[in-house]
This record gives sequence, structure tokens and C-alpha cells, in this order.
Amino acid sequence: MDIADVLKHTSPDLFLPDLQATDKPGVLVELVQGLVAGSPTISKQDAVLQMLESREALGSTAVGPGVAFPHGRTLAVQKLTVLIARSKAGVDFDSVDGEKTHLFFVLIAPPQDSGHKYIKSLAALTDRLQDDALRQRLMEADDFDAFCTALGGD
Amino acid sequence: MHPELQKLVLLQDIEANIREAEEQGEELKELGFNLDGLNQLKERAEAMAGEINPRHLAYYRRLTRRFGHAVVPVIDNLCTGCFANIPAQFVSATNENLLQKCESCGRILYWP
Repeated sequence: MDIADVLKHTSPDLFLPDLQATDKPGVLVELVQGLVAGSPTISKQDAVLQMLESREALGSTAVGPGVAFPHGRTLAVQKLTVLIARSKAGVDFDSVDGEKTHLFFVLIAPPQDSGHKYIKSLAALTDRLQDDALRQRLMEADDFDAFCTALGGD
Repeated sequence: MHPELQKLVLLQDIEANIREAEEQGEELKELGFNLDGLNQLKERAEAMAGEINPRHLAYYRRLTRRFGHAVVPVIDNLCTGCFANIPAQFVSATNENLLQKCESCGRILYWP
């Protein structure tokens, strides 16, 4: 799976260019609100939020330099959905390196995602986001299209 | 949503994350994810299970053993466990607070 395949699961409505929350619980709420607002098939905000919170209890998903990948499976979604968000100020998201997190890629999948499509998507994203120059371009992208163009490497 | 259903959904979601950490753990660790909180997550699942009516929990466990997933979403009026048609009256206001089961396979139904 490459980045272009991952981007098929998101849309301009699932892009939050400037998160306002300043701490981890607030960011999770804002991300879930974004998922519900941006996806016509997701309505159970509490279920998604509780799933993401329980996933963070397993270990922080802020594993990239300045990047977090909150993810998990929940009955509240019918298909793999990817939300992209950015915090210009950065947030303490319990990252592995202790640095602030600026970019968020939220991947949620239904329990019956038997091909583990979202783990393959996570692999593609974690690999791509290792690039320092790319992360800088993503922070500077003006809109969703510019963000995706930079991420896709076109 | 029936409060018991809300708990069963959360329990199933947590258990799915536990199963994934156990089955795909090596792959996730290679991607850089830390799964040190696995025991904490198992405790959270146990705590959630403790809040569920024992009769409902036993039914949930039986279905999980049999089908893998006890609670399934209803999409386009179909039980996504067995694809039986779910009559429209199942979603009426009268039934809103009942724990609904598929008449064909017995799975617990959830409207996403």
C-alpha cells in the first residue's frame, strides 16, 4: 500500500489545518469532533473517543518525530477512515521523544477489516513521515490539496 | 442507545485493540508503537466487563466464542453478521431502549 492508497480514505472535510486544543485529552476530543463532522457515516462520537482513549492507554501513538497516529478499530465506523490534523503550536501528546506533536493522522477501521488495511496504511504513513523536509512542507501547506500533494510526493 | 449496549460496544472495541496488540504486536512494534500498556488495557476491559449485567455479559461471551464478534452493526437494514434482513420496526422509538438481537443469528445489533 502506498500513500496514494491511504489518501483515498480521507477528504477535504477530514482535514483540520489548525487544531485549537492545547493538551492531549482536548486534542482527542477535537479529532473525534472532526471525524463526526467530516464523515457522513460516523455519528457515535462517544464510542470513537472512548476507543481512541483506550488505545492511547496501550501506549502513546505519538511515535514519529512531531507526528502521532491515533488509531484503532471500532464498531462506530463502517470503513477505514483517515483524518488529518495539524497543530501549529504543537501539543504534548506523550510522544516517545518527549517533543511536541504537530501532525496527527487518525486511522479508524471497523472490526471486520480483515485484511488489516489500516495497519498497512499506518506502515506507509510512519515510513513516509520520517522525512524531516516533508514534515516541514506539511506544516507549511496552505490547504488540503497542497498537503496531499506534498505527502504524496507529486 | 441502550446503556448496556454502549458498554458492550466499548468492551468489544477494547478487546479488539487487545487482540490486535497480541496478534499484530511485532508488526506494530516495528513501526515504532509502544504496547507496554497491554496489561493496563486488559484491566480496563475487565473493569468494563464488571459493569455489565452478568446475564448480558455471558451472552456476549458465548457469541464472541462462536462468531468472533458478538455485537455487529446494522447497515442498510441488514445484520452484518449473517446478512439477515432486520425489520424496520426494530429501529422504532419503542425499541430504542431495548437490547436488540438478530432473529436469525442471535448477534447483538448496533446501529452505527
